[in-house]
Amino acid sequence: MSKPISEAIADRHIAPALLPIEHISFVAPQISTLSNGAKLFWRNGLQNETSKIELHFAAGSATSDPLTASLCAGLLINGTATKSAKQIQKALDAVGAYYDVSLSQESSVVTLYALKDQLLKAYQIFHESLFSAVFPLKELQELVHTRRQKFAVQEQKVSFLAQRQFQRSLLAQTVYANQIQYSDFERADRAQIQAFHTQQYLKGLKKVFLVGDLSTETLSAFEELLNAYEHKLPEAAPFTWQPEQGATHIEQEGALQSAVRIGRPLFNKTHPDFCAFSVLNTILGDYFGSRLMSNIREDKGYTYGIGSHIVENTKFGYFVIGTEVGVSTREATFSEIQHEFERLQSELVPTEELELVKSYLMGQLLKSADGSYAMLDLFANVETMGLDLSYYDRYIAEIKAVDAYKLQELAKRYLNWEEMLIISAG
Amino acid sequence: MIAFERFTLANGLRVLFHKEPSTPMAVVNVLYDVGARDEHPDQTGFAHLFEHLMFGGSKHIPDFDAPLQAAGGQSNAFTSNDITNYYDVLPAQNLDTALWLESDRMLSLAFTPKSLEVQRQVVIEEFKQRYLNQPYGDAWLQLRPLAYQKHPYRWATIGKNIKHIEDATMDDVRAFFKKHYHPGNAILCIVGNFELATIIEKVAHYFGAIPAQPKHQRQLTAEPPQKKFRIKTIQRNVPSGAFYYAFKMGKRLSDAYYLADLLSDHIGNEKTGLLFTELQRKKHLVSEITAYITGSTDEGLFVITGKLNPKRSFEELDAAMWPVLAQIKNKKMSKSALQQLILKLRTAKAFQDQGLLSRAMNLSFFELLDSAELLNTESARYEQISTSELQTYAQELLDQSRCSLLQIQPK
Repeated sequence: MSKPISEAIADRHIAPALLPIEHISFVAPQISTLSNGAKLFWRNGLQNETSKIELHFAAGSATSDPLTASLCAGLLINGTATKSAKQIQKALDAVGAYYDVSLSQESSVVTLYALKDQLLKAYQIFHESLFSAVFPLKELQELVHTRRQKFAVQEQKVSFLAQRQFQRSLLAQTVYANQIQYSDFERADRAQIQAFHTQQYLKGLKKVFLVGDLSTETLSAFEELLNAYEHKLPEAAPFTWQPEQGATHIEQEGALQSAVRIGRPLFNKTHPDFCAFSVLNTILGDYFGSRLMSNIREDKGYTYGIGSHIVENTKFGYFVIGTEVGVSTREATFSEIQHEFERLQSELVPTEELELVKSYLMGQLLKSADGSYAMLDLFANVETMGLDLSYYDRYIAEIKAVDAYKLQELAKRYLNWEEMLIISAG
Repeated sequence: MIAFERFTLANGLRVLFHKEPSTPMAVVNVLYDVGARDEHPDQTGFAHLFEHLMFGGSKHIPDFDAPLQAAGGQSNAFTSNDITNYYDVLPAQNLDTALWLESDRMLSLAFTPKSLEVQRQVVIEEFKQRYLNQPYGDAWLQLRPLAYQKHPYRWATIGKNIKHIEDATMDDVRAFFKKHYHPGNAILCIVGNFELATIIEKVAHYFGAIPAQPKHQRQLTAEPPQKKFRIKTIQRNVPSGAFYYAFKMGKRLSDAYYLADLLSDHIGNEKTGLLFTELQRKKHLVSEITAYITGSTDEGLFVITGKLNPKRSFEELDAAMWPVLAQIKNKKMSKSALQQLILKLRTAKAFQDQGLLSRAMNLSFFELLDSAELLNTESARYEQISTSELQTYAQELLDQSRCSLLQIQPK
C-alpha cells in the first residue's frame, strides 16, 4: 500500500507542533601545551578543504598606548630586512592565503585562512615575516597617513562619536578609556612600535587555535614553529569601576539622526547572575521580537534598529543599548526605553513570552555549536574567561530554570534608569 | 561539490533540496524573482519597502517572527536591484514551522494600514541611517543615474528619494504583491539532514495548494551602449575627496563577468595591485584605492574607487589614472599571477561553501539565473581564462568612453 502523495494543509491557523531541543553536544578541541607554555587548541573532522590558524597575542589596545598597538597590528607583516611588504603579500597570494589582524582591548588576534594543504606554507611565510619585521619607515608613514584620513571620516559618524564618548565615560579612570585622538597620529614612533612588537608579540603569545583536517606531521611542524614565541604574559592589573552617570549630548550640526548609547557596568560570564541576566537582556533588546524592537521600531517607527547587549572581556562586562533614531524622536526614545525598564520591574514577564525566549536562546545555542569553526569559537569564549565547556550545560540548566520572579528581581537590581549612563550624538 | 535535488510543484514553485547530514539546523530560503529593477520609475524603493511588510503578518498568522523564534529559529531578508531573498534558520526538527510561515505569506499577506505606516517610517529611518547621515553615504544614489540612463539600475534599492516611500498607498502595495509574490515567481531551497521523500511531502503539504498565477513577463528598458565619458562632481560635508570610476561590464553570466572579476582582484589588490603601487605608493595621490565589480544580473559596473590625499586635486588624479589604465591594457598579466588569483578564488569559495545559509542562497540565485549546477561548475569558468583573454578584455573594458566618473568634493 502506498501512502497518499501528500495532503494539502487543512487549517493554516494551526501552528505545527514544536519539538524542543533535547541535547546539544559541546565538543572540546584537542589541547596540547607548547614547550613555551602556551596552549594549542586544535579541531579537525571538517571533511572539507578549509583550514585556519588563529594566534592570540597580549598586544591589545589597552596593553600600551592605543596608537602604538594599532599601528603595530597594522604593520605586522609589512617588510623584513630582505623582503618588502609587496613581496610578502605576493608569497601569500601564491599559496592562496588570506589573513586579518583584529585588535581588541585585551588581545591582538591574527588569523590566517588557507586550503588545508597550503596552511603550513602560508604560516611559514607569515612566521618569518613576523619574526623579522623591521617596520620600514615608508610603510609606517603611509599607514599613519591612511589611518588619519580614515579617522577623519569616522569622526563624522554619529555612531562613532556616541560609542567613543560612552566608553570614555563608562570606563573612566581606567586604561580602557584611553583612545586614539586625531592629533596623536603626529607622534607615531617607530622605535616604540618595534619595542611593542618584541614585548607583546614575540614574547606575548597567549594561545593558538587551529582548525582543519591536518596530518600529525603538519601539526608537529606547527608546534615547532610556534615554540619560537615566548609566553611571558604581563601580570593583570586590577580593574576598578569608576563610571560616570547621567546624560551627555554631543551636538552635530545638520545631523538627521542621533546615535544613542545607554548602559551601565555589569559583569561577565563568571558572575552567578550572568545566565539569568542574558534571558532578561534578550527579552528587553537582543532579538528581533524584543520589547525595544517591538515598541520603538515596530510600533513607533522611530528607528531602523535598536538592540541591547552584554559586552564582556576577562575582567569586566557592561550592559549597553544602542540605536540611531531621528533627531526629533530622540527624547521620546529615551522615555520609551525608561518605560520598558519600569515595565520589567513592575510586571512579571508573561509565561508565553518567557517560554518563547527560552526556546529562541536554545535554538541560537544549537546554531552556535554547529560545525567545527563555530564549536571552537564557542570553546574560546569560555576558555578565555577561565571556564570550560561545562559552562554551557550550566547555561542551559539556568535558562530552563529561570522564572519571571527572578527576572523581575534582576530588572530591579540592574535596570534602574537613574543609574544609567546616557550618551547621544547628532 | 554541493549535491542537490530539484523538483517543481504543479503551481510552478521550483524547489531545491541539499542534504547536509552533519548539521542539526535547517535552512529555508525563499527567493522571489523581483528586485528594484522591476519598479516603476515613479514608485522606486517599493521592492524593499515590501520586504519589510512581509514580516507584518500573513492571512492566517498575525506575526511572522514569534512562531519562528518559539521554534528556536530566526529570519531575515534582503532586497537587491535584481532579487528579494528571505531566509529562516532553525533547529531541523522544527522545519515545519518555517514552511508553514513561508507558505502562508506566499499565499496571502495581511496588510494593515498601521503596518504600512510603521514600516514606511522604519524605511525612512533606514534611508537616513545608511544613505543620508553617513559621510559618502549617498555616493551610489548619485552614481547610478550617472552610469545608467535608461535601465532601472539607475535607482538604488532604497529608492530615488524618500518621497516615493512617503507616497506609497495600500493599493500600490497590494498590487505589487499580486504581481510578484506567487509560486511561479519563487524558488524555495531547503538545506538540512532530511530525506528527499520527506521534503517532497512537506513542501507539497504547505505550498501545493497555493494557486498558480501567470508569471509577469519582465520587459526592461535596455541601457543603450555608452559612447561618451560622463563626469559629475558634487560637494558634500566630507573630510577628503572621493572618486568612483565606473565602467560598463557584462551581464552576470557572460564571459565578461568572469574576466572582470579576475581583473578587479588583480588591479585592486592592496600592496600588489597596480592602482595601489602607482597612484598611492609612487605618486601619493590617494590615501586608499581599490577596484570591484557590482555583479548584477544585467550589465554591471566595474568600479575603481578611493579617496584623494589632502592638497591633491581630482585633475591630478585623473591625469595619472588613464596612463595607469593604459599600462594595464598594454601589459599582459603573468601566468603565475593568474594562477595565484585562481587559487585565492578557490580558497574563498571553499570558505563560502562551508556556510549552510550561503549554500542555500547561492543554489537559489543560480537556479534563477540559469541552473543551480552553476554553484559547482562556475569555478571551471575561471580556470579556463587565459592571460591573453584578460588583456583583450581589459582593452575593451577600460575604455574612457564607457566610463562614468563621480567625484565627491569636500565643501
